[in-house]
Amino acid sequence: MEEITVQHPQKSTLWTTESKIAYLLLFPAFAVLLLFMLYPILYVFLMAFFKTNKLGNIVSFIGLGNFEVLFKNKAFWEVTFRSILWTVLAVLSKTVAGIIIALLLNVEFAGRKIYRTLVIIPWASSVPISAMIWQWTFNSEFGLLNQTLKMTGLWDNPPLWLAYPKTAFFANLYVDIWCGIPFMAMVFLAGLQAIPQDIDESAQVDGANAWTRFWRITLPMLRPVLLIATLLSALWTFNDFNVIYILTKGGPINKTDILITFIYKYSFQFLKFGPAAAMAIITFVILLAVSLLYARHYFRSEDV
Amino acid sequence: MTRRSLRFTIFIYASITLIVIVLLFPFGVALSTAFKDIDEVYSTPPYWMPKRVAVENFTHIWEKYPLAGYFMNSLIISTGATLFATILCIPAAYAFARLRFYGRKTLLFALLVVQMFSPIIVVIALYKIIVRLGLIDTQLSLIIVNAVFTLAFAIWMMNGYFSTIPREVEEAALIDGCSRWQTMFLVTLPIAMPGVVTVVIYTFITAWNEFMFALTFINSTEKRPLTVGLYNFVGRWQVSWQYLMAAALMAVIPVIILFMLIEKQLVEGLAGGAVKG
Repeated sequence: MEEITVQHPQKSTLWTTESKIAYLLLFPAFAVLLLFMLYPILYVFLMAFFKTNKLGNIVSFIGLGNFEVLFKNKAFWEVTFRSILWTVLAVLSKTVAGIIIALLLNVEFAGRKIYRTLVIIPWASSVPISAMIWQWTFNSEFGLLNQTLKMTGLWDNPPLWLAYPKTAFFANLYVDIWCGIPFMAMVFLAGLQAIPQDIDESAQVDGANAWTRFWRITLPMLRPVLLIATLLSALWTFNDFNVIYILTKGGPINKTDILITFIYKYSFQFLKFGPAAAMAIITFVILLAVSLLYARHYFRSEDV
Repeated sequence: MTRRSLRFTIFIYASITLIVIVLLFPFGVALSTAFKDIDEVYSTPPYWMPKRVAVENFTHIWEKYPLAGYFMNSLIISTGATLFATILCIPAAYAFARLRFYGRKTLLFALLVVQMFSPIIVVIALYKIIVRLGLIDTQLSLIIVNAVFTLAFAIWMMNGYFSTIPREVEEAALIDGCSRWQTMFLVTLPIAMPGVVTVVIYTFITAWNEFMFALTFINSTEKRPLTVGLYNFVGRWQVSWQYLMAAALMAVIPVIILFMLIEKQLVEGLAGGAVKG
């Protein structure tokens, strides 16, 4: 009879029969990941330290030259600062909105399931297509957003959203937040439902009001979920290419670009592959730091 | 459940309804525009209800634009990417969930980190690789990159699913004389079918929605998937927004329905033990 190795938790060594099978099973997936993910990353690292021509071919070693070009460029600093502002504002808004929606959906009421489904729709939709719909919605002349704002008396004189740097930034930001809210709401709702009811009930018996219970019980118990969700959301927000590229293409005059869209423009529009690679490396380091944090917390929460 | 006051109930309904209206606003706009004719679309001030419901938008668009081609391309790319990613992810996930080997935790951790990388970081280098492989302007290039960029999370989710299947099932099969491979493919995999379905839907949707790679790797109009095809509506033709909105709705509704099927698994897969209670 074949021995059932899965039963015995033993210190794993490299070449047991079991490991051999495992490596065999892992090989195709990891070969593909190495070829199409790791290799390109290494290649970008290389490009960042070389002069490149307009075809993206490596010409000569210039050390930190590309980084120097970048650091002297005022636009780069503006875009970096904007990326941070973008991420902070969006994640904060998504978190607050997500918690509010989750609290509402955590109350039992008739039709809750339908509302829950409706709330998910922006997330379920395709981001590029949503962005195109939003572009039309924001249209200054024929768009229904400004018309509705006027009609309802919420805003008598709404701006031409996509025409000016500041308003275009907020329009982009709003769409990104809109896309990201449902995920936050669903994670927090799942988190809320995992909190044992009796704790809240006993606090209620002890006379704590809803406000106190939220700050003293619900929020602290949501902490692990909150941490993971905000880290994840920060990564997605920082990486949001589709919304900005489709809605404003980073314009007017690059004033709504964030690092991710700027890298793309630098490479495929300006054909400055060297500085683009340098920017990609900087972005990579930022993302790696946040991803590591996310993965660590995930591993802590999960028994793997 | 404690009894609630009527005021509280009204407050809940009012708030959640308001939120839903705000969240669904652009879809309302899309619906309104998709059923207007061109004169109504371009009238100021704009209004919500079409005076005449222009159902013909939904048929004309297929005749006037290469929409069927875009749908077909998206279908080919998404199906290809899904097959590719699923075939690669199942054995890898099985190894993570069931076998002990050196480096298991490190590799799992790496997958979770890698999953978060923006494709933009590598797109310059990938572009060069795709050119060198002679795959530029082919749908195969998109099949590959879409599979690659969904693979890490697909393995991760599948690993989670395999882990929920009790080991006893496999042990029983082994005792009954099944080989390890038979056990894997004939016993465990069928039980893991719901997990496979999740992964299939996830990769399909992600590939269907992908925009940046398609924008970069495809030059020929007739090879474009829906996202880029529709995006080019805006530039190429005088924008007939009623057609674009009709097409957008048709492109997005199937995806929304599919997504609803896997939403819970996605939340659990992304947020981990923190939401599993």
